[in-house]
Amino acid sequence: MTLRSRRRRAGIVLSIPAVALVVALLGVPIGQAVYYSMTMWNGTTSTWIGPSTYTSTFTDPIFWRVLENNGLLLLAVPFAIGIPLLIAALLNEHVRGWRFFRSVYFLPTAISWVVIGMFALRFFSATGVLNQLLGHVGFGAQATDLLAGEGSALLALAITFIWSMVGTNTMIFLTGMATLDPTLIEAAKVDGLNRFQIFWRVTLPLLTRFVQFAFVITVISAFSALFSLIFVMTGGGPGFGTTTLEFFVYQTGFQQVQFGVGALYGIILFVIMAVVGLVQLRLIRAEDSGW
Amino acid sequence: MVIPRKLSTWALFALMVVVAVIMLYPFWYMIDNAFRSGNQFDRQNGHSFAGWHQLFANLPVVGQLLNSTLVCAAAIVIILAVSTTAGFAFAKLQYRGSGTVFLLVVSALMVPLQSIIIPEYVNLAKFNLTNSYTGAVLVYAALGTPFATFLMATYYRGISDELIEAAVMDGLGYERTFLNIALPLSLPAIATVTVLQFIQIWDDLLVGLLFLPANQRTITVGLATLSAGRTTSIPALMAGSIVSAIPAIIVYLIFQRHLIKGLTLGMGR
Repeated sequence: MTLRSRRRRAGIVLSIPAVALVVALLGVPIGQAVYYSMTMWNGTTSTWIGPSTYTSTFTDPIFWRVLENNGLLLLAVPFAIGIPLLIAALLNEHVRGWRFFRSVYFLPTAISWVVIGMFALRFFSATGVLNQLLGHVGFGAQATDLLAGEGSALLALAITFIWSMVGTNTMIFLTGMATLDPTLIEAAKVDGLNRFQIFWRVTLPLLTRFVQFAFVITVISAFSALFSLIFVMTGGGPGFGTTTLEFFVYQTGFQQVQFGVGALYGIILFVIMAVVGLVQLRLIRAEDSGW
Repeated sequence: MVIPRKLSTWALFALMVVVAVIMLYPFWYMIDNAFRSGNQFDRQNGHSFAGWHQLFANLPVVGQLLNSTLVCAAAIVIILAVSTTAGFAFAKLQYRGSGTVFLLVVSALMVPLQSIIIPEYVNLAKFNLTNSYTGAVLVYAALGTPFATFLMATYYRGISDELIEAAVMDGLGYERTFLNIALPLSLPAIATVTVLQFIQIWDDLLVGLLFLPANQRTITVGLATLSAGRTTSIPALMAGSIVSAIPAIIVYLIFQRHLIKGLTLGMGR
């Protein structure tokens, strides 16, 4: 056997296990999910319906109610990016002790959403920390459980989500700031710009790529990583107040045992995520050709 | 307005402290309230070990910590085995179409778990894999493989082709070259993958909840289902939160550098 064909053989043999694992457990199920989504299936009997399952979903008001929650959660994204951006700028001033603070801010990244949800549940409850704080500043009379109202529960979920994203996004921006050419900042200082002007006019425009990356990570998390948080904090309620599409898949598939409809919601989620990914790719391409 | 240099530095420091308090407060709250009885919690006064007693009475803590460890270890071993070999193949042993295959593997990153969870469940149940660790371990391994493969391939691309070719010329063969030369060189990347995956799997709820039998639940799943019962006392839940978070925190504190590197490497497109 020639060296060339031995090389080829080794390449194929070494890549097979990874490919097999990914295809069997991630690739094939996507195809199955598309098929399931066009059936009516309660776990025992499966009936083929066809693509009309999608039209009946799109006329279901509950589906739109759930999708609305996803849309509302997107309103948290600017905060989940803006706040970490400011924190990163703060750390990037390299005031004494900044490394220690960096470790502290990043710590929640290691913590399960389950544990975070466990705390948030107490934090937002009627006798919880938030209401105590509000009581101290004179709003004690309005003590309510934020998780008891549909709108307020979603707000509580969004706040918890923003807090949880601080570590990851701060780290992304801090990494970005470290790549900047320090002479640019120096030049701006010489030109008489103050810290805020430097941040707005010099640092931020140079961080575009990192902001985009953080944006995609944040949107993906908002749509597909909040299951544990919702499970622990609200169970999707009250009503459908905090049911997002990803949680709806779980409820429909595993609590109501409607595998067909559940799979359909999963496919819609997949399409939304794919669109987000493609937009990101487009942005990067456009930027590359722009140089 | 000209702020004196020193004063502004103090203002920045004070701001950093405020942010630190916001980020650390939940941890303090958990520790403070884990050491209370239900009564002491209601009054927010006094401390005891009652919460811990209740936790251990309601949750097989030690067994579940062991389950978490086993599931993490097994899944990580599989991820490392397939991602190092495939990463090496995609970076150094390219064959016709290997670029496309690489893209195929990495693009699986885009698949949200919820989109495939129902067929996954049906398939695993069909092969009787949901009444032991096996099903969950396989799913964790598959979910971790795309990013790990991407990371390993990126790392192996940094190793010079000459080094690999020289080893092959010396008669090592490609498989031995991988094992004896490339693999030891990639220890930093292996550490990054291990830490990232450990935290991800340790902290996961959905896969464990659906694919692990009740008596083999991980600590994170155990804690979540305990809370869903709503009957358990809050101090016990806080104690459980601490127990489940500590291993991940320890790993984070020791391997912080690797975790950050893994996160930022994701930005390498």
